[in-house]
Amino acid sequence: MKNIFTIIFRLTVACLLAGLVMGTAFVLTNKAKKNNLHVNEQKVMLSLLGYSAKNPAPEAVAMHEVYRYLVGEGESLTMGYLLPLQDGTFDFVTIDLEGGFLARNPVDISAEKAVDAGERNQAIVAAIGADKPVRYADQTIVVTNGGKRMAYLLPGRFPGFKTFITAMLAVDQNFSILGLEIMEHEEDPGLGGEIVQNYFKNQFKGKPLETVKKLDVVKMPLPEEYLKGLEAEKNGLSAEEVTRIQEQYKESDIYALTGATISSRSVTNGVKGMVKKFAYRLAILDRVLDEQHIAVPF
Amino acid sequence: MATDKTNLQLVVNGILNENPIFRLVLSMCPAVGISTTVMNGFMLGIAVLFVQVCSSCTIALFKNVIHPRIRIPTYTLTIATWVTVIDMVLAAYLPEAYAKMGIFIKLIVAFAIITMRLEMFACKESVNASFWDGIGMGLGFMFGMMALGFVRELLGMGTLLGYDVLGFKPLLFFVLPFAGFFCVGLMMAFFNYIEIVYKRAKRA
Repeated sequence: MKNIFTIIFRLTVACLLAGLVMGTAFVLTNKAKKNNLHVNEQKVMLSLLGYSAKNPAPEAVAMHEVYRYLVGEGESLTMGYLLPLQDGTFDFVTIDLEGGFLARNPVDISAEKAVDAGERNQAIVAAIGADKPVRYADQTIVVTNGGKRMAYLLPGRFPGFKTFITAMLAVDQNFSILGLEIMEHEEDPGLGGEIVQNYFKNQFKGKPLETVKKLDVVKMPLPEEYLKGLEAEKNGLSAEEVTRIQEQYKESDIYALTGATISSRSVTNGVKGMVKKFAYRLAILDRVLDEQHIAVPF
Repeated sequence: MATDKTNLQLVVNGILNENPIFRLVLSMCPAVGISTTVMNGFMLGIAVLFVQVCSSCTIALFKNVIHPRIRIPTYTLTIATWVTVIDMVLAAYLPEAYAKMGIFIKLIVAFAIITMRLEMFACKESVNASFWDGIGMGLGFMFGMMALGFVRELLGMGTLLGYDVLGFKPLLFFVLPFAGFFCVGLMMAFFNYIEIVYKRAKRA
């Protein structure tokens, strides 16, 4: 009997100590980690748009974040968009699933605070009333150049081989893919982990919406020339040549990674879903914006 | 029952006499799964070295207050704690290295070699001896992984550390997971053979 208590006591103390150590480490490192993630995200966004330290984005390029929410409306579900307006304020526009306009509520929040998920939720609940359940769905970043739409950045999350894969996708106005970047994944190193390699993720580059809609995975070796084009940085190909190769293979399916068909297929389906759904939703949102004369900066 | 080996002997012991991969045949999962390149082996080796040293020292320090009946949960807890701490510290302060190593670090929680070293060595020995034993085991593991990575990368992809040295791919077979077993077996035989030759030369 005495043993039970000593065992419980010592294991509890060990757990508490471990918790203390991990908690301290978390508190000390969390801020730096978040900052790293943010910096990394910014860098990824710019690089997907084709900008880098050597080739910085011009002043006229601006990014506008649009957050999409799911709002419970009685029994049914509606979609809500938190939109930045031209005068710097925010509006929450709800649209039903058929695409009909429902309501427009001004949201009292500043641009800095809108980045924080908690603050954003609070402000939205305050604007539309606490009786409607609100759930965050995803966000889109509309990139404009001198007030005209240039591209869309879509952060997304889809199931991989074991857990979720977080990715960032860039598409142009016609929903052709500009680039794909894998932000976080836990695929097997050396197998599914290869999804971060250029020869896999660059395959998505330049694919138009029509191809993406019926995109599939083929289990065939990458053609030599295509591989060279995908790893253009390593092989020092000129920009024209890369464009030519991209053009040549723009209608081909995705060549699966050796030994990682499931991961390849997950990414392909994830990208496919993201682009398709986004194109569909944006058409609805644009129509509503147009009908209701909502002045957005994009 | 303190060890009578010096610090240097403890380190050499971990690398040669009790090499985790070729002698103790522990932690075969990473040895087979991840040792496809020299760089992978090095990265995982570094991470294991850290976790092994930290865990060994912790257990050696607290060996008198750990109840013998619940030592395994305590070891697991210790290893998981250090893995998590190292994971968080790297993610915060060395994001570049973390981008390459992060995926390996989380795997370490389940490595047999670390638990085995805590059970066989750290729970009986002083902190100092455990520290050096941890260093030896970590280096031994790193050596094993890099040796495997060397053979598999060279024969499988014709590269070393990512640089093309052969210009062609001799045997793609070696990069595939199951080839790890062949590779470990062949290298084990090789090291045993060297040992036999060495002992024979010594006797003569």
